[in-house]
Amino acid sequence: MLANFLIGLREGLEAALVVSILVAYLVKSGRRELLPRIWAGVGLAVGVALAFGAALTFGPRGLTFEAQEAIGGTLSLVAVAFVTWMIFWMSTAARGLGAELRGQVDRAADAGRWSLALVAMLAVGREGLETALFLWAATQAGTRDAAGSVTPTWEPLVGALLGILVAVLLGHLIYRGAVRLNLTAFFTWTGAFLIVVAGGVLAYGIHDLQEAGILPGLHSLAFDVSDVIPPSSWYGTLLKGVFNFSPATTRLEALAWVVYVVPVGLLFLFRTRIPTSRPTPAAS
Amino acid sequence: MRIRTTLLASVATLAVVPALAACTENASSDGDKGGDARAVTVTSSDVACELSAVEAPAGTLTFDVTNTGSDVTEFYLLGSDGLRIVGEVENIGPNLTKKLTVNAPEGDYFTACKPGMVGEGIRAKFAVSHSDDEAGVSASDQELIDQAQANYRSYVQDQSDQLLLRTKEFVQLYKDGKDDEARALYPKAREHWERIETVAESFGDLDPKTDAREADVDFAAGEKWTGWHRIEKDLWPQDATGYRVLTPQQRATYADDLLANTTELDRRIHATGKDALTYPIDAIANGSIGLLEEVATGKITGEEEAWSHTDLWDFQANVDGARVAYEGVKPLLATKDAALADELDAKFGALQELLDQHRSGDGFVSYTELSKDEVKALSDAVNALSEPLSRLTPAVTS
Repeated sequence: MLANFLIGLREGLEAALVVSILVAYLVKSGRRELLPRIWAGVGLAVGVALAFGAALTFGPRGLTFEAQEAIGGTLSLVAVAFVTWMIFWMSTAARGLGAELRGQVDRAADAGRWSLALVAMLAVGREGLETALFLWAATQAGTRDAAGSVTPTWEPLVGALLGILVAVLLGHLIYRGAVRLNLTAFFTWTGAFLIVVAGGVLAYGIHDLQEAGILPGLHSLAFDVSDVIPPSSWYGTLLKGVFNFSPATTRLEALAWVVYVVPVGLLFLFRTRIPTSRPTPAAS
Repeated sequence: MRIRTTLLASVATLAVVPALAACTENASSDGDKGGDARAVTVTSSDVACELSAVEAPAGTLTFDVTNTGSDVTEFYLLGSDGLRIVGEVENIGPNLTKKLTVNAPEGDYFTACKPGMVGEGIRAKFAVSHSDDEAGVSASDQELIDQAQANYRSYVQDQSDQLLLRTKEFVQLYKDGKDDEARALYPKAREHWERIETVAESFGDLDPKTDAREADVDFAAGEKWTGWHRIEKDLWPQDATGYRVLTPQQRATYADDLLANTTELDRRIHATGKDALTYPIDAIANGSIGLLEEVATGKITGEEEAWSHTDLWDFQANVDGARVAYEGVKPLLATKDAALADELDAKFGALQELLDQHRSGDGFVSYTELSKDEVKALSDAVNALSEPLSRLTPAVTS
């Protein structure tokens, strides 16, 4: 039960984090009218992933392992690009924040409206196929014929769904916490946090592509701390879900992470350090 | 509005294109004839990895992996080197069954269950045997070509990695004056070079520095002799008349030079982007032919390892490399000239049987122990294989 729960939690967490920060941002900047688009993006990603997963699970054709990894890897890289864009878009908006009305936060960003929905969609859809395949397999486990020690059981599905539910709850708590922050702090923290998340997504995508044999170096590890942080432990799960931390990281993954996080992080720091006027108190 | 549709369309395309390009047939699970042998059930518990079969005919295999343990598990099908991932399923939670579908050509594989998702996993050998309807899988020629190229690239990269690893060990032993250990490692390290010799030789600047034999060096023109065979002579000086062994400083010079060139070779083999090596299908086939020519011209004569006489290791490694290259293009060959594929299988088998007679311990006997007749028998087997092999390239590119 616990293991399936943790898988659901891990797959759900990262999407929940990005979406909750997005929602918090829109609420804080008084653009609630854009929220339906976010939910539309999320809904679309969930729908497509589930449908696609069902077709592959129950239909006559499956997906080769390389293709599955290539899809996950490619979508990860696209997601990184969009999340990076979102970070800087939000921080640009942050610089213009002073005593002005929050409703004017991002006049310049009208083109960004639909991109926001896309960020939400990518955040959910990136691992959506893998999660969908997992959920359908769990559904199959409930309806299969008994054979030896293998008996039908709904336990995996229940466990996985509970995990996803908890991920959503955690996302909601993050949202609640983020909304309470004052705006400057909000942008600084969520931006910095998203950079680390995006670095993780990038590394994860690289690893997928290495497994598919599209990129080399799957077996040259930068470090392996699997004994200290077993990937199936609850803390290993949280680290993976939030930061995409992998206990056995290849050199290429580590390199990609550093090459992304350091310059983007510095750029972000540099931009957010530009003094803004008096921080606005948070809306209650 | 327009922005949205473009963006959505591009993302949707991203997701769907690879999917369409890379579909594979899901095997029907109603146990029809012939589908059965290719459907394997795997039971992964916390301590064991049980397969319903340890072999299957080549084609589209399905592994139904059920996790009966208490922890999350993964299942891998690995290539014969135990490194290359042919296929994997991850995130198999307790009580779940997940399916791995792979197109597997004939060859040796490993299966591995990884309870807890860490470590090497619980491994077992898995054999994929020849099958006449192998070509009946839903793979078009282009897919077979792509797969052959991807497989060969990972083989070359893997051998290069191992060569670098072993070379590091070897030069360290040599520099430390641990001659016995260095002598023992010498043929084992060189195996990896010999397996991909045709690729290594494509770098005209590195090959002479690394693999030149004394007879090939034009000392009169001021060429320097470096690399494996220079060190070989120093480790096996007993046949050399009036030879002065190298000083520790000289040893270090040659050792570091060999390691530097091997490192550079590995770097180029792993290059990506515009410097990446490409392996067109005709080059892979020609590589197989070229490796066998290496055997015929150098190993069979005992000229390659003039001082250590470890020629049979090189011989075997060349044959390994030739066979891997051939097996990579075999699925394609099977669709074009099945008779040639059968003949090559038989001839490779015959040559291997002959080579196996000269095994000793985990290696081979010294070349000097072979009688004239034995050398001739090996030579005949090589020639018998060379003839059909020379028809491989035109057959696969037709």
